[in-house]
Amino acid sequence: MSAMTLYNYELDENSYRVRVLLSMLKIEHEVYSVNMLPGREEKSPALLALNPCGTLPFIQQNDTVIFGAEAILAHLARNFDPTGKWLPIEGPAFSATMMWVGFAAGPLQAAVKAREVAVFAVGGHLERLKADARAAFRTMDDHMTLRQIEGKDWFAADHPTIADLALLPSFALSRDFNIDHEEFPALRLWLRRFRRLPGFITMPGIPDYH
Amino acid sequence: MTIQPIWSPVALSTMVEPSSSTGAVVNGAELVVWRDSSGKAHVWEDRCPHRGMRMSFGFVRGDHLACLYHGWQYDTAGQCRHIPAHPQLEVPQTIRMQTFATAERNGLIWAGATADVDPALLPAEIPGLVPVRSLYADCTVAKVMATLGATPLPGSDDAPALETISENYLSVSSGPLRLFVAIQTMGPDKVALHLMTNQGAPIAALARYAQPLRLSLETPLAEVA
Repeated sequence: MSAMTLYNYELDENSYRVRVLLSMLKIEHEVYSVNMLPGREEKSPALLALNPCGTLPFIQQNDTVIFGAEAILAHLARNFDPTGKWLPIEGPAFSATMMWVGFAAGPLQAAVKAREVAVFAVGGHLERLKADARAAFRTMDDHMTLRQIEGKDWFAADHPTIADLALLPSFALSRDFNIDHEEFPALRLWLRRFRRLPGFITMPGIPDYH
Repeated sequence: MTIQPIWSPVALSTMVEPSSSTGAVVNGAELVVWRDSSGKAHVWEDRCPHRGMRMSFGFVRGDHLACLYHGWQYDTAGQCRHIPAHPQLEVPQTIRMQTFATAERNGLIWAGATADVDPALLPAEIPGLVPVRSLYADCTVAKVMATLGATPLPGSDDAPALETISENYLSVSSGPLRLFVAIQTMGPDKVALHLMTNQGAPIAALARYAQPLRLSLETPLAEVA
């Protein structure tokens, strides 16, 4: 079996989601650095032939391509995590993990887009996106406030799952589009907790200081 | 820079861990609230004298707070002690932070208006309080008072009783249930409410009560025809 290749861009937060899990699970892989900005290489015929969506990240192994950060996280967790913790498949932890992974791919995408507008100067209505991102962070902070009262540290289980990983980068990078962390105290503590996990890696805008 | 009022709550004590920092805004003034490795809380102006970077983005090393940009380190008195680009330099006394009096009382971190504010002016100590949560909302203090007075506490159908403890600290009660609300005025239309209650009270129910409360706080009063 040939090595897995991650097609990614260093400043792209969706790529970072996958890089973190690759690091934490110590999965051997090669990296293809895509010239997303300014080159828009992910939209080139060569890369569209691999991922017809023209998005990052995606992974390729032999003849198989998997695109979409959430799907890649689930794929890696299911196939490379012998403890089964990153993707719990039983009980309420499975349901909660799916729900919050869906949240990351749904309402939280406002934060991903707000950051793209603010940092990469792509088109979009920044104020509207920021308002939607703030609403999403509030939903997350309310949830983690109640979890903390119940003595729980993580979104969906008694341990970190791909739900935490799918949600975390958008909040960690929110200062890139001028939403500070002080309004979300429960998320602040959760972010600090996550950065202490073994195998955690940084990206520009997410330092490892804690 | 001085801030108003004399003592303002800036965070629940439990939400700022040792060796960490966060931002806080009091009437437009940007502050950094941080704990050194021994757990002592400090409040400073949120601005590195070097390049104006927010110190709340920085990191704690022992009893120093360091700026994220260039690593300038300040001791607990706000005096700059180390500049990584000039490790041999004895840092001049003039490179220092503006500090504010800092106190912990009733499960809250309070910031004083200046570096020297009398702790006797803090609200009186109330034993046995436990944190509920901090709630951030875009509204005026007047709206806070009106909404708190009109919203029944969990387990009750009646408007609660409001009692002022000090200018920015009050209690909301219904029967034996008592919610303590410390109001941090961030700006004319922005507040943080730091909620505490008595030990043994239903904390999760009070945290849940706070979510629709925020919605009411941010809903403009209906126009009267």
